[in-house]
Amino acid sequence: MSDQRGEGTGTLVLGEGRADPGYLSTRRARAAYWFREQAPISLVVAIIGAVSLFLELVGSSILLAIGGLTPYESIVETWQSGTQKSLLWIALVMGIAAVIAGVATYRRMPTKAAREGAIAGAVLGIQTVVLAGIYIWFLGGDVEIFARNFVKFDVLSGFTGQFVNGAKNTLILALSAQVLGIALGLMLSLLALSKRSVTRAPARVYINFIRGTPLLWQLQFGFYGIVLGLQFNVSPYQVAILILGLNAGGYTAEIFRAGIQSIERSQLEAARSLGMSYFQSMRYAVIPQAVRRVIPPLMNEFVILIKDTSLVALLGLTLNERELMTVGRDIYAETFNATPFLATAAGYLIVTLPMIRFVTWLETKLRSGLVGVGA
Amino acid sequence: MSAPVQPNGEPLVRLEGIHKWFGDNHVLRGIDLALEPGEVQVIVGPSGGGKSTLLRCVNMLEEPSAGRVWFEGNDITDIRVNLNDVRTRMGIVFQAFNLFPHMTAIHNITVALKKVLKIDAKEAHERAMEQLQHVGLEQKADAYPGQLSGGQQQRIAVARALAMRPRLMLFDEVTSALDPELVGEVLAVMRQLAEEGMTMMVVTHEMGFAREVGSWMIFVDGGVIAEHGRPREMFANPETERLRQFFSKVL
Repeated sequence: MSDQRGEGTGTLVLGEGRADPGYLSTRRARAAYWFREQAPISLVVAIIGAVSLFLELVGSSILLAIGGLTPYESIVETWQSGTQKSLLWIALVMGIAAVIAGVATYRRMPTKAAREGAIAGAVLGIQTVVLAGIYIWFLGGDVEIFARNFVKFDVLSGFTGQFVNGAKNTLILALSAQVLGIALGLMLSLLALSKRSVTRAPARVYINFIRGTPLLWQLQFGFYGIVLGLQFNVSPYQVAILILGLNAGGYTAEIFRAGIQSIERSQLEAARSLGMSYFQSMRYAVIPQAVRRVIPPLMNEFVILIKDTSLVALLGLTLNERELMTVGRDIYAETFNATPFLATAAGYLIVTLPMIRFVTWLETKLRSGLVGVGA
Repeated sequence: MSAPVQPNGEPLVRLEGIHKWFGDNHVLRGIDLALEPGEVQVIVGPSGGGKSTLLRCVNMLEEPSAGRVWFEGNDITDIRVNLNDVRTRMGIVFQAFNLFPHMTAIHNITVALKKVLKIDAKEAHERAMEQLQHVGLEQKADAYPGQLSGGQQQRIAVARALAMRPRLMLFDEVTSALDPELVGEVLAVMRQLAEEGMTMMVVTHEMGFAREVGSWMIFVDGGVIAEHGRPREMFANPETERLRQFFSKVL
């Protein structure tokens, strides 16, 4: 197909006002096409909408940067300055203008790109209005007390190492637990799919127990039961990995079960009719397909698990074992200031966002072998 | 084919009083059938008449509710028989191809050779290429099923079954899911297979194929064999009213 694509001087027109730029292969060619196709009014609406949002987000950030983030008083000063307020109101008015103009005119635009331009302007305007509304509401509160307690960034100085260590421990906890959980979950899902009730029953009991009790309870009961009750010589860190893994196993089992059940029965029959045993059929024909299908829910589970590691904070970890949440909480206790929790949130995002990107990439890669199954 | 010679007149496959219930639905109501090596048994009949169920009972994908299936002189409905072993000598091709979508064409063929017959990778590859040539698709060895047409997928499915070197091939309406212009290429492969002496049971709606290639034909309707005989005679002189009606609809 790709050889049919032109390099984008816009010679192909699919009917008046409905030209589809899909044949343009480069981003630059598409942008040029988009500009050429705009009507004056749609261009104005799009620009006003974009500028309003830009002013609000980037402008406010620049003001904060110029004023300085430390000490916190300078943030308060910026927030309470006339420049910030007028910037917000200008953005708000422009946003409203873009919404009104866009909504009023998009139906009469002569080309598809022009219509999309007008709609984009209006949507950006709506975003500006919503954000400006929230910002104005926020500035109506006592920003001085807020800033002193929540964005006093100088209290963080000297704690960077602890946060990095915390992020490392969060990742170790989540990854080990997930590996354990996947192994356990795959086994449990096969048991739960058995046609024999005596095989299904124990898996169901386990899965339902795990899903039916809070993780917090499992962690605490497991920890106190094993370490304080049975007097086994294991660290809270090890117990945390074990319990998180057992917990992940229950949820992962359900994900795998749904994935395996979503593979057509005919795949199992095809494998069996080639002489494969039930387990060979599962191993070579069904499970590889099921795994590809369950990557998104499995990923979702993993992101939840990363955040669930925060519950480990209750087990009393040693200094080096602390994960992000515990680090944030301990620094809060030390400084009596809530700003560390912002750093904790940032830490979680730094861990989770690349993970989400990675799995999206992996998913497209695995999907490539799965185009249409005929019939 | 390196099949050991059967004792004279001993059938390769024999069905004896096969019944099948799905819940209250009595699909097969006593089927008796025998097929000698090298013969092609075509099975025709209206949809819902039990043709596919009958075929799937032969390789025990459906367990008969009553009756016995004999293959190579053994009763394979006996619970002690290792069906995985039996199925390596009995290939089946399905209406919906059922290729493994995550494997290339050649991998679809070699996976059972390697994992079931325990043939080493090199020899499995050679055997698979041989079969791909047989169905005229050696240049598609590395294509995924999703990149192939329906007719090509079905020929790969035939090659996959043949690579096991089975003694009996079962075909379950293998051209029904194909676009009309792709039917011919699959029928040509089956015709060639019959000429090479393969023992085959073929459920089909292709009446021309049934007449020319079939050694025997049965007409299955309402779960019983309503009429049986040589295909040409049955087409020329259908004895029962039901078969006459069936022919008038499909011919």
